[in-house]
Amino acid sequence: MPGQITLQEWDQRYEQLRKAGLHQPDYSGPLSRHVEDGDTRLLKLRYDNSAAALRLWNFLLTEEDRLHKARAEGKKLVGTMKDLGTIPVMAYSLDNLVAFYPDGAWWIPCVMELNTGLLKIADKLGIDESFCPVRAMLGAFLTGAHFPIPDLLTCSVGATCDDFSAIAQRLNGLGYPILWWEIPHRHPPEPDEAAVKLPGGFSAPKSQVEFVESQLQHIKTAFEDLSGQRLDEKKLSTGIKKANKVRTYLAELRQLAFTAPQCPMPALEMLIAEMLAIHFCSDRNETIVVLKGLLEEVKARVRAGIGFLSPDAARIFWVNPVADLQVMNLFEDCGGRICGTEYLFTHALDAIPQDLPPTEALAQMALADPMVGSSIDRASRICNDVRIFGAEALLISRIPGASHCALEGQIIGEIVRDKLNIPVVELEVPPLTDSIRPALRTRLEALVETVRARRKK
Amino acid sequence: MKTIIYTCPYVPAEWIAAHGLRPSRVMPAAVGSTGPLARVEGLCPFVHSFINEVLTILPQTDTCGVIVTTVCDQMRRAFDILVRRCDLPAFLMNVPHTWQSTAAQKMYVDELKRLSRFLIRLGGKPFSNDTLARVMLEYDDARASILAARSYLSARQYAQLIAAFGRDGPGMMLHSETGASLPIAGVPLAIVGGPMVRGDLDIFDIVEQSGGQIVLDAAETGERGLCPPFDRRRIRVNPLVELANAYFNGIPDASRRPNSELYNWLKREFLDRAVRGIIFRRYVWCDTWHAELGRLKDWIDLPVLDIDVGGDSQAHQHRVPNRIRSFLEMLL
Amino acid sequence: MICAGIDAGSRTIKIVLIEADTLKVITKGLTDQGVEQDKLTSGLFRKLLKNSGIDKKDVGRIIATGYGRNAVSIADTTITEITCHAVGVRYLVPDAETIIDIGGEDSKLIRLDRSGRVRDFAMNDRCAAGTGRFLEVVARRLGVDIGSLGRMAAKSHSPAPISSMCVVFAETEIIGLLASGTAREDIIAGVQAAIAARVTALTGRNIDLPIVFTGGVAMVSGMDTALQSALGQTVTVSPDPQMTGALGAAILAAKHITHY
Repeated sequence: MPGQITLQEWDQRYEQLRKAGLHQPDYSGPLSRHVEDGDTRLLKLRYDNSAAALRLWNFLLTEEDRLHKARAEGKKLVGTMKDLGTIPVMAYSLDNLVAFYPDGAWWIPCVMELNTGLLKIADKLGIDESFCPVRAMLGAFLTGAHFPIPDLLTCSVGATCDDFSAIAQRLNGLGYPILWWEIPHRHPPEPDEAAVKLPGGFSAPKSQVEFVESQLQHIKTAFEDLSGQRLDEKKLSTGIKKANKVRTYLAELRQLAFTAPQCPMPALEMLIAEMLAIHFCSDRNETIVVLKGLLEEVKARVRAGIGFLSPDAARIFWVNPVADLQVMNLFEDCGGRICGTEYLFTHALDAIPQDLPPTEALAQMALADPMVGSSIDRASRICNDVRIFGAEALLISRIPGASHCALEGQIIGEIVRDKLNIPVVELEVPPLTDSIRPALRTRLEALVETVRARRKK
Repeated sequence: MKTIIYTCPYVPAEWIAAHGLRPSRVMPAAVGSTGPLARVEGLCPFVHSFINEVLTILPQTDTCGVIVTTVCDQMRRAFDILVRRCDLPAFLMNVPHTWQSTAAQKMYVDELKRLSRFLIRLGGKPFSNDTLARVMLEYDDARASILAARSYLSARQYAQLIAAFGRDGPGMMLHSETGASLPIAGVPLAIVGGPMVRGDLDIFDIVEQSGGQIVLDAAETGERGLCPPFDRRRIRVNPLVELANAYFNGIPDASRRPNSELYNWLKREFLDRAVRGIIFRRYVWCDTWHAELGRLKDWIDLPVLDIDVGGDSQAHQHRVPNRIRSFLEMLL
Repeated sequence: MICAGIDAGSRTIKIVLIEADTLKVITKGLTDQGVEQDKLTSGLFRKLLKNSGIDKKDVGRIIATGYGRNAVSIADTTITEITCHAVGVRYLVPDAETIIDIGGEDSKLIRLDRSGRVRDFAMNDRCAAGTGRFLEVVARRLGVDIGSLGRMAAKSHSPAPISSMCVVFAETEIIGLLASGTAREDIIAGVQAAIAARVTALTGRNIDLPIVFTGGVAMVSGMDTALQSALGQTVTVSPDPQMTGALGAAILAAKHITHY
């Protein structure tokens, strides 16, 4: 039966699975070993009890090992910053490049419960708590303790949040060269502009697509220089095809998880699964295997009509990822169920067009990023997805210090209330929420109560 | 005459003026005031004040449009507020953060052309190269006069002159700040940071009263935000290209990626003006400038005073003079 | 001749009288701040003179510093507390290079050059979260005396992380932690760590040693340990930390530094 178990229970469960003949990849093992590495937050989380979830977690928590192994094998490492989903597709099209997001360091303070001192390092550099928790990335670079220093760093700027841009510039100022590329603010095509319909539903002027394509050409050249191989259209097309395989599995997984009568997979595992779309956790092939396993588990549960939440759980659409993973557990404890997500990178969940020249397709994808356009556009896509997934309320999670969070919540909230007439709640989630748990719980429970009361009307 | 308001230095006033419209660069009166847009944690006080000023423009004034740019992400987001809550037509201009490629330069030019279409929709007129060239020369002459005035104006008067130029253009500006006074000699300081509000100009007086003198106004609303002199030969050949070159390549800023040109410019100016200390003025929640504080301190061997402005005006009235006074005590 | 320094802080008024030629402290005293600051200051000054048998005409120069310095009518001139704390601490700890001053309402980091002059400084005077006010809030919430906070924090095994930037919200966190059964010792240790972390943000990448800790909060035991832990460096508490501002002002009066 599906259920959620603690880390300690996972050790017992792991033994059961192993004895039952569980096929394990070389990175597998009891989850508790990661606690010994310092990931103490794992002790406070609750996990899905399936073998597929075990594989997902082990895959996530062993990324650093994979990066070191890749380097030892002579592969070049690319730190792709900010764009969330486009540049890694290019990198993985070359067999001797591995791409990852140093931005992912934003979870380290949570997972290691502030013990690494990464935020202290950022403080000393003048990047204090008024910045987004991604400031932990600076500490990660300076200590070199959480990922190998990449051979090349790329960073998108322009229509991106100021705090990340400023943090990346600070990193650059500390002596880390960065290949900057521009992503313009996506504006609606004017009547006299040739328009392009982007994946995901937005439109943009053709001139903007061409501009972004020119930027991606620079990246392509840099990758070719780094890898010593040509990144031709054939390789890029193959890379896009494989990326789309990941996206297809994820799309099916999300559709099932968010719409099945019984919730088949917890919010926390779904959040991790979605994250795999952006850079494949440094192993594109394994990502496909992991997602396939998760999807099979979900399908089996849906077929059997089993889930792990109460059937009357409030169906909530969640906007923005949380800095503290424990909040996903708390949310379900309060009676909520994730039915739809917008974790800042929904464009990385859409299929990349395969009927276009590959760099043009990737340029369209980059411009389709909801964060690159207006909050009004973002709200519009959220409304569509709320309808598709049948969510009953919207929850906007604010990231402390993130420049986009100050105003976007107001706009998204107004539009969603106007168009869909559903309750909207904002809450701020810092890297560790232990001390504000009662306040968070109150808001989450109040939202669930509101949803349930509306059902009675 | 119909007026177009804006606040970002990368919006060329000449471009607006060439369309037969009056450009007016807004400097809000103060931060922290109440208005239709409530204060929110995380919202830059300058953006908050600017948006509130726009939202409270009365319909019977001659203001017919507002331009904001993507130089600042918070302003980019605030554009959505304008679109939803303001009857005044608004334009969001994409100003590239990267600057080293021809694609970025071309994007800036294309955005000027797109802005032109917006201005024409509001009643602006298409114009010839000769008209643009004439307007550019007029503004260029005015900027030259402003720069020359620095030698005989006080720091505050100089800052006010630059603000008047932005607000009223070359014709009106000449009538302001003619009451020249001998500048006070004090410890030469620079003020560095983003845009200031009119109430902030008191800082110049506080500095002088404490024994200092601002010899370099490197705030966005100060000298740093003025585009450099045009190449007059190139104006005759292709005024649009020269306009774009001067504005896009000539105004250094913290938002640029990389922002090395800002530091090159500061280094030159600090040396030229024998600056002995830096007043670093930023808004709480302005990440772009806040992140440069640590870097500036690492980079330069001059004392740096941090003044963080949060829109809490009463506390600010004690805090800022106290810090400046302490800073000058240190330097004297 | 005798000189006086008056530190009109946000919480207390401190006065130090010294011999101008030897800089030896003759007497000192403090009183709580209040609405009629000038009256309180003058009253304390008269009391100190009387108790020491000093005639007012023997006091040659008086310098006032601190938040309320401009409202001290008996002062000949005023100097900011940055300069005064630097002078006072350097007199008491002659090799001090970095001074951390945490008071009731603000915190400061002051860097000195080799000659003891202020080289650079940074302040947090906007937010109560890095100041003594935070300790007052936690003491009140936990129903303990502020003087016992250090002893209690020393018993902590696992300081509770306090995430709020604002002391008002941090108070809500404290309530939440109490409700969830977190030990008072861990809460206090967490608050001390949060204050220390705020100071770390003022230090920048490099910090010159030795570091001297002064101000009223330096008298709260455990804060020096919290600072040491946050900074990763030894921190020495200044002798008489509450009086260093007034002492510095008196020394400056004695040195006839009048051009501030």
